[in-house]
Amino acid sequence: MSSQASRSEAKVVIERTYRASIEDVWALWTTKEGFESWWGPQGFRADVQELDARAGGALRYDMVADSPEMIAAMKKMGQPASHATRSRFSEIEPRSRLVLTNVIDFLPGVAVYESNIAVDFTSTGDSVRMVITLDAMHSDEFTKMQKGGFTSQLTKLDKRFA
Amino acid sequence: MSMQLDVFQALADPTRRRVIEALRDGEQQVGDVVEKAGVHQSGVSRHLRILHESGFVSMRPDGQRRLYALKSEPFREIEEWLGPYRKLWEGRLDRFEAALQTRQGRQDKRSKTK
Repeated sequence: MSSQASRSEAKVVIERTYRASIEDVWALWTTKEGFESWWGPQGFRADVQELDARAGGALRYDMVADSPEMIAAMKKMGQPASHATRSRFSEIEPRSRLVLTNVIDFLPGVAVYESNIAVDFTSTGDSVRMVITLDAMHSDEFTKMQKGGFTSQLTKLDKRFA
Repeated sequence: MSMQLDVFQALADPTRRRVIEALRDGEQQVGDVVEKAGVHQSGVSRHLRILHESGFVSMRPDGQRRLYALKSEPFREIEEWLGPYRKLWEGRLDRFEAALQTRQGRQDKRSKTK
């Protein structure tokens, strides 16, 4: 994990509070049905192949373009409409914290590396606060945006940090 | 194209990041930065020059002294660069909320029909 630290210093922190039970919030991260119901991203759906919500357990899913616009956009960029994603739950403390580690293994000429999504849950009364800490510069989606050439700046940056 | 570094190259160096952190406290002299960053004076001077050239740091002479301060523009550029990523997550968490509501709706229905 420490070997990744120097590559992953740019963190983005996002906080949300939901009026919900911690059980429901937790289930959206740790069950197949729950995860598929929101992960996306926009224009994509996640088809979960394996979800094992234990420390070290695997999360494998296909990101499938499922809007006509996105399918067309992927085609235009010469990208397949579906992409297999490998992750694992590298930390799990039920209803309190989880860390999803994503394996970035699809960049030509760039050694495989990992990026983390850490989520902390705090339950108070009838609401749950969720704090998400992201390795922004080396996340799965972000790197895909770079690869897809959404902007030339991102592509330049990737080379620089590689 | 000049030899000037862009914001991301400028930030790629850990020592330069320490120099930037030291400058967060406001305008100061090289000596203050040396002390806070724990970097040798020649290193600080070199990195301050690079940061000045890449637009991170302003310098103004004050008698014999030179005062350095952070400029806001490059940080705005970084924010903009992170914008699409932040937006992706905002959208994702909106869907999370909608999924939660759907889930709760189903549970309410179940408990009512019991």
